[in-house]
Amino acid sequence: MAVTKIIEVPFTLEIPVGPQHPALHEPVLLKAYADGEEIVKVDINTGYNHRGIEKLCEKNSFYRDIFIIGRVCGICNAVHANAYVRALEAILDVTPNNRARYLRVLAMELERIHSHMLINAVMAENIGFEALFMNIMLDREKVMKAKEIVTGARVMADYMMVGGVRRDIDDVKRDKLRKLISELRPRVEYYRKVFEEDETILKRLIDVGRLKPVDVTSHGLLGPVARASGVKIDTRASDRYDAYNEIPFDVVTRNEGDSWARMMVRWDEVLEAINMVEYILEKLPSDGNPVPDEKKLPRKFPPGEAYTRVEAQRGELTYYVMSDGKGMNPYRVKIRTPSFNNIINTGFMYIGHTIPDLPVILTSLDPCISCMERVTVVDLEKNIVYKVSLKELGGGKWGSRRYSI
Amino acid sequence: MAVEEKLSFMDKYVVEKGFVKPNRRLFTIRSEHVRQVFTEFIERLGRENFYLSTIVGTDMKDEGRIRLDYYVVLLPEEETIVIRTYLPRDNPVVDSIIDLLPGALSGECETYDLLGVVFKGNSFLKRGFFIPQDLVEQDRYPLRKDSGV
Repeated sequence: MAVTKIIEVPFTLEIPVGPQHPALHEPVLLKAYADGEEIVKVDINTGYNHRGIEKLCEKNSFYRDIFIIGRVCGICNAVHANAYVRALEAILDVTPNNRARYLRVLAMELERIHSHMLINAVMAENIGFEALFMNIMLDREKVMKAKEIVTGARVMADYMMVGGVRRDIDDVKRDKLRKLISELRPRVEYYRKVFEEDETILKRLIDVGRLKPVDVTSHGLLGPVARASGVKIDTRASDRYDAYNEIPFDVVTRNEGDSWARMMVRWDEVLEAINMVEYILEKLPSDGNPVPDEKKLPRKFPPGEAYTRVEAQRGELTYYVMSDGKGMNPYRVKIRTPSFNNIINTGFMYIGHTIPDLPVILTSLDPCISCMERVTVVDLEKNIVYKVSLKELGGGKWGSRRYSI
Repeated sequence: MAVEEKLSFMDKYVVEKGFVKPNRRLFTIRSEHVRQVFTEFIERLGRENFYLSTIVGTDMKDEGRIRLDYYVVLLPEEETIVIRTYLPRDNPVVDSIIDLLPGALSGECETYDLLGVVFKGNSFLKRGFFIPQDLVEQDRYPLRKDSGV
């Protein structure tokens, strides 16, 4: 039977894709073509907000770039700065002390907790579970507060620095952090249970967007997306950067490979991160000041190149920094964010699923959330254009009712 | 199997060996061998035992060539190796590996858009994938050192 109508669903989303991604202001277009309910093709378009950060880094000095790099992404600014700073340290042969290495991990794990809670909250909202969204976001504030205590800012931390970090913590701060984290743990355990047992969540997520391990590796997918399909990739465990060689943790993997498994991997990682934060607060070494003297840092960079990896919340994040030894500016900085692979290379995942599954799959890949803009549904026969928000499409009348034109 | 042993088949292609800090093995190969190397990767290691992490293109203006680095992560050791090749700056063309590894899509599209490296056989290449329309119209590649961007 011939296809009689095409429903074109252009999503205008803001996700951290590519090297230039200000977490909240970059749109990407997923253009989905559906035959009835079923999606038959998805085109992914990017580049609506290309800021040219790689070029900007070439035009600024190595040290200024630390602050530019922090602005690549708001949600994961500490990991970005960490990867870049470690690349500089590799070129300069500088090593931070143990206290600084532990504090770096502390900041990065707090960031992981709040990012994973955020995307799980958004998933709850997308499938129409508004109350759960509100509750998770409320408890996420505890982590934001903890991050503020450690780094001095809720979001833009600018915490990393060549040879160390920018702020130390004292015993008063340490007690505050302990209290916040101990309050957080039972809440996370509760939310994990909700995701494990709630019937609505299970119905919407299980078997949606299933990924085979071979698809993960051949498409270069990373982070929780890969780990939920049983591919054990974790830069923390393989590169053992900063203090990850001393702090005990497990790499969480699951074998289901569907959207539900991806969300569960994130919850388990939050619990692992809470364990790591508690371990750090307990065993924080005292081998000197973690804040290096800026005046003593080398002004001139020798020629060299470094490629560092960091396990960002969304997967392996890599930085390539090259110095030609001639000036104060890097010759080349290349950033490859996990969403760059996870979003651009996953057009195949949507095919065969229904339209309400599209936001579920996209959310399970963890794009940036404020992405929620508008969707256009075009009926070719009647020549009518509908506009609905992604939220409605995911969980409102478009999601809960069988959709027909 | 040790990583050296796994990569022993590379020897016939390698022009030069080295390291990128910190401890990433670097293999320089000729640009016409890129496809063959990745074909052998798939044959010998299997699709599930490595992934292409990223493609980094760098304009080496003074040398008159463009450097292309493929960062490959071997599993399950999760060790990153670098496969490096050089292309002439006035005609940077290399065979695409997108049909072998779909994961090369993002890297190839980006390198084409920003640096002008043509991946022969990749039908998804287009200008304006990232960069704004005015630069596309002026036919400029922002990451080239003489682009004036």
